[in-house]
Amino acid sequence: KSLSPDSLSYLNPKDYIIGGITVSGTKALDKDVLIQISKLNKGDRINLPGEANARVIKSMYEQGLFDDVQLNITSINMDTIYLEIVVDERPRLSRLHITGIRKGEIEDVQKKLNDKTGKIVNQNLLNTTSGIIKRHFNEKGYLNTTVDMKPKPDPADSNNVILDVIVDKKTKIKINSITFEGNEAFSQKKLKGFLKNTRTKKFYNIFGSKKFKQDKYDEDKQTLVEKMQAEGYRDAQLVSDTVSKHDEKTVDVKMKVFEGHKYYFGNITWSGNAKYSTADLVKILRISKGDVFSEEELGKRLSGPTPSNDDVSSLYLNNGYLTYNADPVQTRIYNDTVDLDIRITEGPLYTISKVIVKGNDVTNDKVVYREIRTKPGQPFNKELLIRSTRELSQLGSFDEQKTEPRPTNINPSEGTVDIVYNVVEKPSDQIELSGGFGGGQLVGTLGLTFNNFSLRNIFNLKAYRPLPKGDGQKLSIRGQSSGRTYQNFSFTFSEPWLGGKKPIFFSLSAYTQGSSTGQYFAKTDRRYNNLRINGIGVTLGKRLNWPDNYFQLNYSLNFDHYNLDNYGSAYLFSTGTSYNIKLTQELSRNSIDAPIYPTTGSNIKFTIQATPPYSLFNNTNYRIATPEERYKFVEYHKWKFDAQWFQTLTGKLVLMSQVRFGFLGYYNSKVGQSPFERFKLGGDGMQSYQFLQGSEIIGLRGYQNFSVVPVGSGYNASNNPGSVVFNKYTLELRHPVIASQSATIFLLAFAEGGNTWNNFGEYNPFNVRRSVGVGARIFLPIFGLLGLDYGYGFDRIPGASDAGKGQFHFSISQSLNGGFN
Amino acid sequence: CKSKFEKLKASNDNARKYKEAIRYYNKKDYGKALELFEILVPRYRGQEQAEDLYYYYAYTNYKMRDYTSARYHFKTFADTYPSSTRSEECRFMAAYCYYLDSPIFSLDQENTSKAIEALQLFINLYPKSDRVAEASKLIQNLRDKLEDKSYANSKLYLTIGDYQAAVISFNNTLRDYPDTKYAEEIEYLIVKAQYLFANNSYETKQEERYTSAIEFADEFIEKFAQSKYIKTVQDYKKDSEAGIVHAKNWMTQATLNMKAAKKAAEKDSVNSQSTPPSVKDKNPELVN
Repeated sequence: KSLSPDSLSYLNPKDYIIGGITVSGTKALDKDVLIQISKLNKGDRINLPGEANARVIKSMYEQGLFDDVQLNITSINMDTIYLEIVVDERPRLSRLHITGIRKGEIEDVQKKLNDKTGKIVNQNLLNTTSGIIKRHFNEKGYLNTTVDMKPKPDPADSNNVILDVIVDKKTKIKINSITFEGNEAFSQKKLKGFLKNTRTKKFYNIFGSKKFKQDKYDEDKQTLVEKMQAEGYRDAQLVSDTVSKHDEKTVDVKMKVFEGHKYYFGNITWSGNAKYSTADLVKILRISKGDVFSEEELGKRLSGPTPSNDDVSSLYLNNGYLTYNADPVQTRIYNDTVDLDIRITEGPLYTISKVIVKGNDVTNDKVVYREIRTKPGQPFNKELLIRSTRELSQLGSFDEQKTEPRPTNINPSEGTVDIVYNVVEKPSDQIELSGGFGGGQLVGTLGLTFNNFSLRNIFNLKAYRPLPKGDGQKLSIRGQSSGRTYQNFSFTFSEPWLGGKKPIFFSLSAYTQGSSTGQYFAKTDRRYNNLRINGIGVTLGKRLNWPDNYFQLNYSLNFDHYNLDNYGSAYLFSTGTSYNIKLTQELSRNSIDAPIYPTTGSNIKFTIQATPPYSLFNNTNYRIATPEERYKFVEYHKWKFDAQWFQTLTGKLVLMSQVRFGFLGYYNSKVGQSPFERFKLGGDGMQSYQFLQGSEIIGLRGYQNFSVVPVGSGYNASNNPGSVVFNKYTLELRHPVIASQSATIFLLAFAEGGNTWNNFGEYNPFNVRRSVGVGARIFLPIFGLLGLDYGYGFDRIPGASDAGKGQFHFSISQSLNGGFN
Repeated sequence: CKSKFEKLKASNDNARKYKEAIRYYNKKDYGKALELFEILVPRYRGQEQAEDLYYYYAYTNYKMRDYTSARYHFKTFADTYPSSTRSEECRFMAAYCYYLDSPIFSLDQENTSKAIEALQLFINLYPKSDRVAEASKLIQNLRDKLEDKSYANSKLYLTIGDYQAAVISFNNTLRDYPDTKYAEEIEYLIVKAQYLFANNSYETKQEERYTSAIEFADEFIEKFAQSKYIKTVQDYKKDSEAGIVHAKNWMTQATLNMKAAKKAAEKDSVNSQSTPPSVKDKNPELVN
């Protein structure tokens, strides 16, 4: 009796007045509510057949309560129509109860299934659920996984069901053998090598999985053909392939290939190029007549990407031709030769109109915009786009992998393009909380570093989230204490663009350190002792554009004040005051591509540090001066050179090579070598607090801390006063284990050598103490970089009993942000 | 031993949960109310009380200041119950939540654009609503924010000495916000930026760039005759004219001296190949 609205003629839709609506097929649901949801009202006009009926069905379906919805007409009386909504109401899923697999696996599966609770249980739900689970295990090599599903009513809620899912993943399938047929030019071994993720169960296949994974296998079939074609066999095909069961746990793979014969490049002609001459393009293409034909190579040379960006597309894309396109047309194929005509579409010269940053939810616009090298008015340049992306990631506030520049709004008639930089903020603050032994006592450290601080908002309560953020400034506060005997507090603030006009780096730091083993005695008591060191420093730095724009010049002025009261023999005198006022100039060039795991680039630093030459004008007779007089104002000059290079060897394997040199000199032979700012070599390179004279601590793994003393000297690790010349070389191979936003872990193997000398006259760069070893570094965003190394030193050091034995070294926060240890 | 609330949560008595949830809501204990509403919303779907329940649920999110969830639920309410008396209110609230989620202008403005869209949709759907006036006011606030952003970012290029970028960026701001309150200031800054751009360029490029600065200056003088910047703009114009004379003299000298000309041409070609614009690294402070 009821008819579908489709039975009305679509040729002649008519307006009706709704006379009444009924609902049928419901179980638990309220009919009036369903009518409301259908958005049909008694008395409304409705045009049928038309959009109205589709709309009703759509809004009913959106509820996710029904397996089927129909809108029928029960009767028509003149222009009044009576409608019926027929639904097929289904029970809803209250939860999935998965059995047959481990808890961890259940969690993985749940994640992939999303949340299906509340959905209606129909065949579709059963099919998708079982499909997702099967696919999940197939990818892991369980090809015979079965999934059995039984819905049962939920005792808690009558209209709901619980779905029992019983998973049996069966055994893992591995590959017994891979055989090829039809190959002559390519050996079995070579073809097998082309299959990266499909490997046989052989002892020599140490790396990579031997499991059979359908999706990887399908990818590999594709690459197999591509690799054959890349070697000149442009007709190569995979004719057929079979995967057959060998036994319960393994399969045999058979592949039949067609090789065809080898082709070579013939004549190459160019057309459509106006901006660059054919001669120029031929030079850049680097493919000439007679070379083995490879579409892959041709594609790379024409459209990139090439590692050194010297392909044809880079030439165009770095000079504004954003819509450049090259179409190599094979004009003639004869015998084994392919003639090409490369048809180039240059398109107009594109100039950047707008630069837009999106996704900066914490960091203010100016911090991002001022680092971007693609500016309005410039021709489009892909290389600058990539460099900007890299430099944005070096700000430390954004996820490196997710920073994505994209040209949009490409307007060929005006020749303009907008560039959108999509960034994703990441947490950049660090907490250092550690306890450790130093100088025979327990030392606790609490450090906080805010890498995206905003000083101007410090009194703006609204900006606290939980601290004022977003101006790219850095604030770090650190406190270290072992209770009453030692305390150290330090503070650093830095601003990368002082004044906001030019990238002038400014930093202000201050510290105070107190050390005493007898401060609780009265001042008059002879057991009373106290040491306080206060320091303050200012640094100004400027990025240079010459010789290239990776250079930076820094000046710092530091003022250190030592105040001792009956402090014993640790210092040069036991009661008195010393001042160390120094000016440092540092010229550096840093082109490394990432702060934590650099893969390419170099970091070179040349430093000169000097104090005023007090001995020229302070009228102190240094021949008879007491230490208190001699070291009231310390004087010296210091020269340092540090260089680090990073190279990617193969894949992700990186070689870091490093050279370091340092020299400390004096102005006046009567004053002699300064006891301050000397170099101490050996060990983990961690800065340690008990050395008062600002010694510079240089790591040399494989030897105990500070144990590398000059040859022939009577010093050892515990009484080493430091040396005035040092030299160190390092070679380190690094390979990442995890490189993600939340953690970076890499393993390393090193060989290094270094030595110290008592004066420049004895310096011999080839006489070094050598060591080799292995280690690991872990970077966690809130903890910084942690390192553990095991080193073996080859050379004996007189007085050091454990030289020539293995040493473990633990380190925190080294080699970050231009550190050299 | 479970608390009373935990027991209630674990029970299957939906009707009691419903009553308690409303009670918590009225007592402003939104945390507990939200927990109960979250359980109840799927259970009551398609039933009579669902509408009321969902309305409370959306408001609970709003009161908890979770504007992202709240706007979603307000919108869902308005989509599901278009004939409800509350749908107008919820449509407005959905847009208002976007408004509240719009950050200061120096951060990403995605929510600002979405708020404008949602408020505009509200005005289109309910042109006669009492809330139209407020919605229009909110839209104006948001547009002002986008305008401030565009102005500030253009000005940044001037501050950091990227004069060509500043000129283009300011012109884009004028095109995107034709009725901007910064019009006078922007046009003045365009003159300034173009003058500095020309002044910091190689002599070979100066004539063209100074001419453009003079054009911008003339335009400004015509449009804003009463401006407080008028004196400065006239000075820029005069200096530009002097600059053209200087550049022309230089060029004549250069042509006479073939070696210098060749050098200039080399410089220029190097410049257009490497990173443009061809701006010399002169100290901009000197010309200010």
